[in-house]
Amino acid sequence: MKILLVDDDPINRTILQRLLGKEGHPVVTASNGVEGVERFIEHQPDMVLMDIRMPKMNGYEAAMEIKRLSRSRFTPIIFLTAVTDEEGLVQCIEAGGDDFLTKPFNRPILQAKISAMERISRLHARLREQKEELEQHQERIHQELEIGNHLFAHIVKVGNLLDAPCLNHWTSPMSLFNGDLLVASYNPVGGLNILLGDFTGHGLSAAVGAMPVSDIFYEMTAQGFSIGDMVEAMNAKLLAIMPTRMFLAACLIEVDPRQKSLNIWNGGLPDVLITDNTCRIIHRVPSNHMPLGVTQLTREDRKVEILEMRSDFRVFLHSDGVTEATNRDGAMFGSDRLESHFSGAQAPETLFSAILDDLKRFRGDAKQTDDISLLEIVCAQAGEEARGVDARRQRATITPSPWEASFTFSALTLKAVDPLPTILNMVMTLQAPAGHRERLYTILAELFSNALDHGLLRLDTRTKKTPEGFIRYYAQREERLAALEKGSIRIQLSHTPLPSAPNDARAPGGEIRILMEDSGPGFDIAHIHSHLVGNTGHGGRGIALMRSLCKELTYQGCGNRAIAVYHWTQ
Amino acid sequence: MSGTINVTRNDNETVISVKGRFNFEMHSQFRAAYQSDAGDENQGRRFVIDLSGTEYIDSSALGMLLLLREEAGANESDIEIINTRPEIRKILETANFQRLFKIA
Repeated sequence: MKILLVDDDPINRTILQRLLGKEGHPVVTASNGVEGVERFIEHQPDMVLMDIRMPKMNGYEAAMEIKRLSRSRFTPIIFLTAVTDEEGLVQCIEAGGDDFLTKPFNRPILQAKISAMERISRLHARLREQKEELEQHQERIHQELEIGNHLFAHIVKVGNLLDAPCLNHWTSPMSLFNGDLLVASYNPVGGLNILLGDFTGHGLSAAVGAMPVSDIFYEMTAQGFSIGDMVEAMNAKLLAIMPTRMFLAACLIEVDPRQKSLNIWNGGLPDVLITDNTCRIIHRVPSNHMPLGVTQLTREDRKVEILEMRSDFRVFLHSDGVTEATNRDGAMFGSDRLESHFSGAQAPETLFSAILDDLKRFRGDAKQTDDISLLEIVCAQAGEEARGVDARRQRATITPSPWEASFTFSALTLKAVDPLPTILNMVMTLQAPAGHRERLYTILAELFSNALDHGLLRLDTRTKKTPEGFIRYYAQREERLAALEKGSIRIQLSHTPLPSAPNDARAPGGEIRILMEDSGPGFDIAHIHSHLVGNTGHGGRGIALMRSLCKELTYQGCGNRAIAVYHWTQ
Repeated sequence: MSGTINVTRNDNETVISVKGRFNFEMHSQFRAAYQSDAGDENQGRRFVIDLSGTEYIDSSALGMLLLLREEAGANESDIEIINTRPEIRKILETANFQRLFKIA
């Protein structure tokens, strides 16, 4: 330890210098306060021994000055004093002294005091190092979070159409990063796709998962993929990248103002509530699927609920942060309180803000414990473009031309793969009937499951009428498919351009004729419709849906050959 | 303020009871409760999650159940969630967990 010794008495200086020198401490001396401060600045000693009564500047003043000069590090000051009165000792401590040593000097006590100060100095230095390290760390994290937040905001918000006139939304993240994901974008035929997602957990880890999901959402929406396709792609991606205990509860909605339909897929979010001019809940879409990123999806899992959209419809979506929001007493907002707003008393236009105001009033200044999102889709305005955005990215369809393709799948193939996505992708690649993917898929899927489930597997749809039967039906289906050895399904697709208008040489679109034939014994054609109804199960809208989608739908042979004709236009 | 976990074991069954709030703070406690019983050498072991004393369950808790399921053998696992109050059952069913676990 380099020690500064300040004393006006040359004898004291000599004694102490010798004592300290014997201990191996280098010593710098000064004979008054002013000189002491100068020496301190010049030599930066590790410790100061300070006399009290000195000319020019006394020990108290010099000590205060030295403490002022060494604010960032600890420099112990030991007063050398003859005074034993309490008043004098108190003054030493007030001036910044750390200890005192009474004259005459005693070697063991001097040694003990110096090593005590040494220990404190070391502790002080370590604390300072740790504090600096923590500060640097904190600064780095802060900067990284800022950059991360910037990237996150830009990746997730690219092309986001939350300012579309038909959307009202409110989100309140509990931390810098939002674990709730809300994105919206127009598809090529002017439909609006919306995704509300709620990741397990909050903050950064949740936000990282949001990036691939929003990427897939924007990319596939722009290409005209259906929400069923997106569900599949997002699930596969999240399964691959996320730890087991993380998943995404999500709801995807396609609002299609042209077809006047609402396609809804809900996996793990609270009920989607639909109201109309009555301002009562006229329909709800509960979560019928697992959240994304939990397990492999089955064909059932990509099924969307299709509703006919009326212009006075308002669709309400929320994350569980709304119903689980707590007030200061720890009570939850709850779904009853949320749904009490749909009593018919409110005007439809003010419903959204009424719910939001009530939620804010309920929460008061209680601490937020989850991300909160609330969204309203006003169907009357679904056809209006977002302000200031070139929303509808047109994707050129390929000039309609005649082509034909035919597939025959044996039992072996049917057991191993679902051939429909590949066939559908082929149609999309050859002809690119943008925006018709979902409808073509629906037709193909209905015909295919009819051919497989009833034609080849001989399943009875009547089984599905009760909930237990529904489960039995799918268990039976699995068993019989595994045991299937014979039989085949033939799918033939023929495409012809539609006749062009007199003043335009270009064909306005094309006709796709789908023939689906199974090698089974067939069934009574008179009862074919009930089979189709049974196929789509929930609510028997299958036949109506198929009729509304197809230009023609006929059955031939012994009921084992179906022909569907679909027209697409640009 | 989170919950507490009690474990009782016999030869082929582990019963984990969660009292209070079953949320992200319970992660290490819950994991410690089953970890010694899960894994390849314990195949065929049955896990019972007793939620009779559970006041609240959040999505992190659902994540923990998924983790247990995976570590207990995924599709081969034998896990039953019992004594679920209606509110908790609703949360489990919203996530369609009845497809992965026996829920009673």
